[in-house]
Parts: sequence; C-alpha cells; structure tokens
Amino acid sequence: MNQTLKSIIARFGFLIIIVAFVIFFSAVNPVFLGGDNLMNIVEGSAILLIVALGMTLIVATGGIDLSVGIALDFGAAFAIVAMKEYGFGWYGAALIGISGGAIVGLLNAALIVGLKVSPFLATLGTFFIGSSVQRIFTNGGGPISHRRMPQEFRDLAVGDVFGIPTEVVIAAVLVLAYFIVMERSIIGRRVHALGMQRSAARVAGLKVNKYLILCFVAASMTAAVGGLIASANIRMFTPLSGFSYLLDAIAAVFIGAALHPRGRPNIPGTVIAVLFLGVIANGLNLMGLNFNTKDALSGIILVSALALVVAQQKLRH
Amino acid sequence: MSASVLLMQDIAKTFPGVVALDAASLSVRPGEIHGLVGENGAGKSTIIKVLAGVYHADDGTVSIQDTPVSPVTSEVIHAAGVRFIHQELHLVPHFTVTESVFMGQEITTRLGLSRRLMCARAETFFRDVLDVEINGDILIRDLGTAERKLVQIARALIDDQARLVVFDEPTAPLASGEIEKLFRAIRRLKDRGIAIIYVSHYLSEITDICDRVTVFRNGRDVAVLDKVDENCANELIKAMVGREIDALYPKSGHTRGALVLQAKGLGDTGYFSDISLSAHSGEIVGIAGLIGSGREELIDTLYGLRPARTGEVTLHGKPVRFSSPADAVARGMVLVPRDRRRDGLVLDMSVSENINLASLEEVSCYGIELRNRARERASRQIRELDIRPDNPAIISRQLSGGNQQKTVLARWLATRAAIFLLDEPTVGVDVGAKVEIYQLIENLARNGAAILLSSSDPGELIGMCDRVLVMMRGRITHETSAVGLSIDQLVAMTTGASTQNSAEGHADAR
Ligand SMILES: Nc1ncnc2c1ncn2[C@@H]1O[C@H](COP(=O)(O)OP(=O)(O)OP(=O)(O)O)[C@@H](O)[C@H]1O
Ligand SMILES: [Mg+2]
Repeated sequence: MNQTLKSIIARFGFLIIIVAFVIFFSAVNPVFLGGDNLMNIVEGSAILLIVALGMTLIVATGGIDLSVGIALDFGAAFAIVAMKEYGFGWYGAALIGISGGAIVGLLNAALIVGLKVSPFLATLGTFFIGSSVQRIFTNGGGPISHRRMPQEFRDLAVGDVFGIPTEVVIAAVLVLAYFIVMERSIIGRRVHALGMQRSAARVAGLKVNKYLILCFVAASMTAAVGGLIASANIRMFTPLSGFSYLLDAIAAVFIGAALHPRGRPNIPGTVIAVLFLGVIANGLNLMGLNFNTKDALSGIILVSALALVVAQQKLRH
Repeated sequence: MSASVLLMQDIAKTFPGVVALDAASLSVRPGEIHGLVGENGAGKSTIIKVLAGVYHADDGTVSIQDTPVSPVTSEVIHAAGVRFIHQELHLVPHFTVTESVFMGQEITTRLGLSRRLMCARAETFFRDVLDVEINGDILIRDLGTAERKLVQIARALIDDQARLVVFDEPTAPLASGEIEKLFRAIRRLKDRGIAIIYVSHYLSEITDICDRVTVFRNGRDVAVLDKVDENCANELIKAMVGREIDALYPKSGHTRGALVLQAKGLGDTGYFSDISLSAHSGEIVGIAGLIGSGREELIDTLYGLRPARTGEVTLHGKPVRFSSPADAVARGMVLVPRDRRRDGLVLDMSVSENINLASLEEVSCYGIELRNRARERASRQIRELDIRPDNPAIISRQLSGGNQQKTVLARWLATRAAIFLLDEPTVGVDVGAKVEIYQLIENLARNGAAILLSSSDPGELIGMCDRVLVMMRGRITHETSAVGLSIDQLVAMTTGASTQNSAEGHADAR
C-alpha cells in the first residue's frame, strides 16, 4: 500500500465508512436521507449521547464506568418519585433526579479513591448494589408510572426549543460543556494526563484523587440527565432500563478515541460514533430486517468498526 | 574467524521531521567490548533499534559475521545470536521474575511449562553470571530499578546463544556497587568470546571497560578510537560535542540563606529511620547511598509520595504533613524523579503539554487553556534548556533519553519553586547537557533555592554540593562538607568501609 493511501486511511478510515453506510442506506431506502428521518436519528441518539459523554470523561481518566445505567435509573426514579409522592415541580424534580445520579457517582468515587478498588470492579459493585436497590424498592422491578406529570417535565422529552426537540438541545448543551471542559480547559488537560500516566501526573503535583472524584460524580450526574429525559418520554420509571445504554456508550467512546490522531477519548469522536451507531440502527430498521437479524448485523458492524480502530492505530505508527 | 561480528554501513533513518541517522556506520570485532558514545539524540539508540529490527532503516546495509542481512527482522537477528538490553525497561509489572526472564522462551517438559525448572534456572543465572540473589517468584513491580535491569539482562542471556550483546545505557539506573557487578558480568561474557556493544554517557565507564569506541554526532559516526585508556576521555568529549569542556561542574561558592527545609526523626519502617536533615536557601545538599540505602524512599517521603510513619518535616519553620505531591508542589517543593519515563513525563503527551503540566493556571484564562501562550511558554523553556528537537508539539516518548530529562527539568524551572528535590537528575544525560544541567542547578541555588540532590554519582555529589549526607541501611551515617572530599572517601562512606564521622559537617549543619 502506498504511503498517502495509508495516511488517508489512518486519518479518515472511519469517516469513509460512515459515509459509505449513509450512501448505502439511502440507496436502499430513499426515506433514509429525508430531513425527518435524520432528525429522528439525532433525537433517538440523544440519551445515548448524553450517557456516552460521561463515559468519555471516565475513559479519559483511564477507568471505565459500568454503573452509568444505574445512574440513569436513579435519575429517572428520583425525579418520578419526587413528583409523584412529594409533589415537586419539574424543576425540583430534575434537580433531585440529578442528585440521585450523584449518589451513584459518589459511591463509585468512594470505592475507587477511598478503598483503591479498580474502576472496573468498583462500578461493577455499584451496578449490582444499584440493581438490587431498584428491585427492592419496586417490589421486584415493577415500573412506577406518573401519567399526570407536570407538562414542563414531560417537555424534556417531547417539547421543542425553536423547533428543535428539547432533548436534542439538552444533549447539544452538554456536548458543548463537555467539549469545553475536556478539550479546551486545563481541567481536561489534567484529566487526560492522569488517565494516560497516573504516576507522572501525581509527581507533577496534580490532585489526582480530586479529579477522579469529580469525574465519576460528573459522569453519573450526566447519565442521570439522560434518565430524566427517558422517564419524561414514557411518563414512568422502568427499573434497570439504563443498562441498555452501557455497552453502546462504551463502544462509542472507543470508536471515538480511534478517530483521534493520538487515540485519546474525545468529545467530537464520541459524538460522531454515537451518530454512527444511530445511523446503523436506523438504517437497518428502515431496511425492514427482523429484530434478531438486526442485532446480529449491528454486532458485526460494531466488531468491524473496532477492528478498523485497531488497524488504524497500527497504521499510525 | 571473520573480521567483524557486526558491520553496519551508511545507515540512514528519518522520523517525521527528524533525521535520526544520516549515513552512520558501526563495526564490531569478535570478542571485543565496543563503546558507542554521543550526545543525546545523536542516534545511538536508533541505530541499535535498527539492528534489532524495531525500526527499518531507510538506507544502508547490515552484515553479521560477514553475511549480509536483509531485511533486518528481529527473528533473523535473534537467530544470529544478537541480544539486546534496551535503554527502556520493557517488563510487565505483575509478572514474576521467572516469567519475565522466560517470556517467549519458556522451558517445557512433557508436563507442560516447568515453572520450578525455570525458576531454578533463573536464580542460578543471577547467582552465577550476575552475582546477585534474586528470588524468581518475586513480582517485577516489587523490584527496584537496578534489579529490573538485571532481570532484563537475564532475559536476554538465559538461552546461552548470545554472540553479540548490546547494552544501551545499562548502568543508568545502577549504583556503583551494582555497576561493578555488571562490569564483572560483562567481562565474563567477553571471556566467553561474546562481543559487546556498550552505550553509555559515563565516559569513565567507557574508558574502563571498552576496547574500541565509536563516537556518533548528529546521526553520523564521527570518530573511531582503536585504543582506549583513561586519557582519551577528553578526546571522546571533543568528538562528541565538537568542542572541549574544561569544567564539568560550575565553580560554586554559595551564600547560605535561611533554613528552608528541615526533617526531624523521619522514619518509615523497613526503609529508613531517624532521619534528620536540613537544607538552607542557596544551598545544595547531596544525598549519597547505595540502592537500598533508603535514599529513594526518603526522597519520596519528603515529597508526599509515601507517608512518613514517624518524625516531622518543617518548611520555612512551619510543620507540614504532605499527603500527596500536590501538597508539596503547592508549598513550593518539587521533585525531578529518578524514573523519568514512569514518573517524570506523561510520555504520550507533547513536550509542551509536559512542560506546562504543573503550571496550567499560568497559561489559562478562566480555566480555558490559551494554546498560543502555552506553546510560547514551552518554546521558551525548550530554547533555554536546548531541548532537541526544538518542537513543542513532539510527543515526549519520541525524545531521546537526555532530552526527556531536560523536559522534566524544564517543567519545574518554569515554576517558582523554592525547594528542589533532584533524584538522579543527570542519569542518561550526555556530557554537554550535563554541564548545562549543572549550570541550571547552580543558578537555582544562586537564586536562593534550596536543593536536595540525591545521586549515585559520587563525582556529581562532590562537584555540585556544599554538604553531603551519606545514607546506609536506612540511616544517615555521615554528614560531611563536600569541600576536599575525594571520590574514594565518599564511596568508602556509602559502602560502609569508612566509619569516622565528619565533625565539621555536623557542626555547620545546625
Ligand atoms: N520514534 C521516534 N519518532 C520520532 N523521532 C524519534 C523517534 N525515536 C527517536 N527519535 C529522534 O531521533 C533522534 C535520535 O534519537 P536516539 O534515541 O537514537 O538518541 P540517542 O543517541 O540514543 O540519545 P540518548 O543518549 O539521549 O538516549 C532524536 O532526535 C530523537 O528525538
Ligand atoms: Mg538512547
């Protein structure tokens, strides 16, 4: 393979694939490229995107968060219960929901920073604890529905701001905030440093523990925002529903990292990867494939994408 | 017998933006110890990695025993009996010593892997060839740097097939006692007819052990010395840096200011105990001691990397208790760590990012990084310390060893730290750069910094310090003025061969 082709693949390999998929799907079904459908993709990706933002931050610290789903559930549960049982307005309920997520993050941080448990095991532990807490409080996993929730809260999922769906606006604001913090601020610089080489970051005088706590709490609070939207959408809290976002969020972060010239987890990469996953899901849907085939196909596409990631990183060296 | 075991001719290698090698040649005769010297970034490690098949040369030929090798791959080179002790330690921290030594060359019996046999073989090798006792079941992460180096050596030599062994700065992490051991091992290899390439910045080592020497400069071989004795150090320096260096150490004469750092009765079970020391503004205090003397742990404790079990530390007269380096840095105390690749630099970050890492506030506005200011600040430091290549965007991993060290120094010199803990600050640094670093340290002292210089190089301690503390088995056994101290005296103190205390040193320490 010649050098320029190699470097093009190394830089843009993944983007080429995305474009190829878009062309393919729109060739199969012209509806795919319609404005409505594209907005559908974006809207349908909003919650995953929000969860993946937090995950990007965690992976940048060199860790992983298996409990983002729990944080999402807690966000939904706390908000719904606050409205239904305690009559909170939408604003208070949202804050309470986000605090619910913070509890999950604090537990993770306590295990990781306090007890020196590895992030993988700590968040796995939180995942188990959080799952069983939900089952206990819902008598085995029944949903808590709240049909007459305040319209403002409901609007988090179904409303719009100047014609743009509210959830997309929320996701966009969070993307911007994460982008500034992770890619432009000195906090982001420090987080990347401690994620890449903890010992060197420590010796350079960075407050490693402080940043770890901060990151795990922030990631959980962000996931909880996803939970607010999810619960507003279906007007209920369904226990353990956050889990479905976990693997996609992790995949998105790693695909996104592969898009970075130095392989770092990064916000633009995560956004592109989430949209890619959305495109695949939506495109396969429009092709009218049955549920099982669709899952298998998206699995194959994901694995190929990750293989490409590895190949890309090799090409860079 | 052939005229050369190894002949590398006109090797060229370019990295994006950097010419690492530009027609460099190297020829090694059978059974000789061949020195390879040159400034930081001269291309020594690169030519060795070309030989190892790690990098592919853009141009040039390689022959082993007069047989051309092409392409140069690690398999062919290994089969030809060439072994490498690379500058960087590539060991997996959670492997045992035995696993590390035999990784990829396990001994199998009909019953599968034979752990016992391998362990015994490894331990025997350490005992017989390297003359050290290392337990084969210990984890790599529990070993000190010196022992890790020895594991690396064992790994290269355990299969007994070596005909040419390449040592890339093997003594950098070692103390004088271990260096002796290593030299004995190297001479023993030579006696078995094995040829050796020996890369080092310590010219005394080169003149001590080598039969012939090749000098590299800017990616080329600029001189070959066929006869090596103690008197050719100057000739080597001149060939290396292109000029003569008359004094390695800047002429010192410090005016001692206020007491800045004081430790009383500091102890950490099993590592050191009852350590009392002080450092004044404008003073350079040396700490000498063998590996295992507690010197490393003491420095780490002062910096908050490990907790002190007993004792207290005061800064500017106020008691302090650092639970992490962040506390130390906040109080103006900084550390240049001995293992720069692990603790000094975030290797995958750029030089600019690394230089600014400890003072990000200064290159930011409301927490947002000002990239231009950051780059300018880094460039200024790069120019000041002559870090090469002078590109702030280059990834630190790609710098040569000495330039990495300068980058660590650059980070702290740019802060307004008042106390510098320097742990082996010139390991792997070329003579030219050493002189520059010594001058930087000297300037720091002159500007009123208090400096604690921990080193295994007695010459450095005597040349740079006002006072030297000698540690042995976790205690300070001597405290002496560096004036008039001879290298032999200092070595005798560190090894415990001398026991009399220097009263004069004690007197002026209070
Ligand atoms: N992987 C790489 N990518 C880019 N540049 C590199 C890479 N490896 C080495 N270089 C550059 O090539 C030059 C030669 O480096 P090399 O490591 O061979 O020097 P050296 O003589 O071993 O120096 P030192 O004594 O400091 O170890 C340096 O300028 C270095 O920055
Ligand atoms: Mg080198």
